[in-house]
Amino acid sequence: MSQSLLINPSAFEAGLEAAFLARSATNERQAAAFERFARQGLPNRRVEGWKWSDFNAALRAETAGAAEPAAPAASDGSFAALDALEISIVNGRIETPSELPAGVRFGILDAVATIPELETHPIASLNVAMTRKAFALEVEEGVAFERPILIRHRQAGSGFSFAQTMLRLCENASATIIETFEGDGAGFYSHLVHGDLRDGARLKRYVLDDAGARARTHSLFALKVDRARLDQTSLSFGGALTRHESVIHFLSEGGSVNTTSASLLSGARHADFTSHVLHRAPACVARVLHKGVASGKARNVFQGKFEVDRAAQKTDAQMTANALLLSDGAEANHKPELEIYADDVECAHGSTAGALDEDALFYLRQRGLSEAEARGLLIEAFVGEAIDAIDNDSIREVFAIRAKTAMETL
Amino acid sequence: MLKIDDLRVAVDDHQILKGLTLEVPAGEVHAIMGPNGSGKSTLSYAVAGRDGYDVTGGDILLEGASVLDLSPDERAAKGLFLSFQHPMEIPGVQTMTFIRTALNAQRKAQGKDEVSAADFLRAVREKAKLVGLDDAKIKRAFNVGFSGGEKKRMEMLQMAMFEPRFCIMDETDSGLDIDALKMVGEVVNALRGRSGDEDARGFLVITHYQRLLEYIKPDRVHVLADGRIVKSGGPDLARELEKSGYEQFIEAA
Repeated sequence: MSQSLLINPSAFEAGLEAAFLARSATNERQAAAFERFARQGLPNRRVEGWKWSDFNAALRAETAGAAEPAAPAASDGSFAALDALEISIVNGRIETPSELPAGVRFGILDAVATIPELETHPIASLNVAMTRKAFALEVEEGVAFERPILIRHRQAGSGFSFAQTMLRLCENASATIIETFEGDGAGFYSHLVHGDLRDGARLKRYVLDDAGARARTHSLFALKVDRARLDQTSLSFGGALTRHESVIHFLSEGGSVNTTSASLLSGARHADFTSHVLHRAPACVARVLHKGVASGKARNVFQGKFEVDRAAQKTDAQMTANALLLSDGAEANHKPELEIYADDVECAHGSTAGALDEDALFYLRQRGLSEAEARGLLIEAFVGEAIDAIDNDSIREVFAIRAKTAMETL
Repeated sequence: MLKIDDLRVAVDDHQILKGLTLEVPAGEVHAIMGPNGSGKSTLSYAVAGRDGYDVTGGDILLEGASVLDLSPDERAAKGLFLSFQHPMEIPGVQTMTFIRTALNAQRKAQGKDEVSAADFLRAVREKAKLVGLDDAKIKRAFNVGFSGGEKKRMEMLQMAMFEPRFCIMDETDSGLDIDALKMVGEVVNALRGRSGDEDARGFLVITHYQRLLEYIKPDRVHVLADGRIVKSGGPDLARELEKSGYEQFIEAA
């Protein structure tokens, strides 16, 4: 047996390496990516940036190996009214619709890309090494693609799985992408989107993460933004360990990103929203808003960073994270960061954590609302700010209904 | 209607009310005046059933039945309304949605049907006009960005909508100008009815100033000092207090 590239690997890491070595069709780029991963291993709490989301500890004893293929499950119908173009990814296996509407190109590619910006990211490197097929989606120049594109990720059973999406919105194109994370799997799923928005493009991305209490998920959205705009709203009910990470590079003057996220966490669930916005060009606008609600022994993590280059004058960036803790055992870990090398910028961040406002609760009860109704109304109002950012009525309604259902378990 | 009998209330083990006795019959308005820290707001919270206001003795009866074992929302459903001294702002909650939810929660607890959307809209528009809140205001998040006076108008809007049996008005006059005081008088007098009427309502008006009482004629005025009623009298007592202040009572207590 050849010697492991990994230093003192866990059972899970050894399983990853075995699966990687057993594959016939890896290329040099993937081999290099695996080496980069192996040098770091799965990130643990001693690595800054992962101190609250220790994937190594959560997975080290897993011996299930690669996840078995599983059949796509029927949609729960939440988004039935949208007439969406549906792509299904079950345990990493991609199925695309047979129709090909005008204005978009998509397909399944053998070659996965390397992403220079993410070379130091351990799970991105692992994803590049392990992914067999990538889903590629391109919206052609000037096309306003009206039908929402629904990407349904599903984890079933146990074991690890990986998938990648390459996304491009050409000049002046627009599209709406909904990603759902579903299933009740107990494995590990890593999905990596790497995309670019060309000048004049507009992307709306909505993420609904309801993959169950046992899910261990890492979802990484890496986007290069020209003079273009992203609006993103995510709602997560957490899992055993769930992290949604956005890495945004502003490359041209006048780019704009507005991202909101909400977590509703019960039991011992964990959700981590991490965003890193790199301002490489002047006069870009970034808004990051996070609302986290945790009950029981749940843990809500938010990490946000604005990195503003010397060239990125007139940057306008604001970050806010608010946590609502409904029990003594619930936890919120927030880390807002600013790293600014330009002198003419407006950057701000704010972070709060607290319990429900007793004065407001009493006020509502004096008006006749029961304790449960009063709490529900205040929690709904709290996360509403994140969900209300969705400007499509039917999508917003689905998110609001799913959030309301989840609130009842808090 | 509302009978408070030898009420003793502690907050954080600190005795605030020390044997307060008071009875407000249906159709009457009683005013409570008194120096800061005498226990006026404690009385209003204790009657409304707020957590942390521990009744250590005595009783509170609404229409003959003790409310001590009832939660705040159950007391509200019995027709008890508190107009807050400092009404809350509740970001993210639409005013109309909130008032309708509250109204229907009370009606449900009373075994009544919910109000239809159309009836509700008609009523809330009419009452909003009465209390001087324009349409734009009642379409916003509840009290968010409102001035002190506007928040008091919002309290009066809810009082007019819910038509409670008994109202405690905790310094409703603070932050209001003369026109607004007149409006408060109209809302109260429309609800009040005559003593002896079946649907007559009772009011307990907590205030520092005589001027609100020009618009809401009290039947009785009580002076609260150091957790007890130390003097009761007719409307003239309010005028007398305005002139001479509370000092005599602070010393007496």
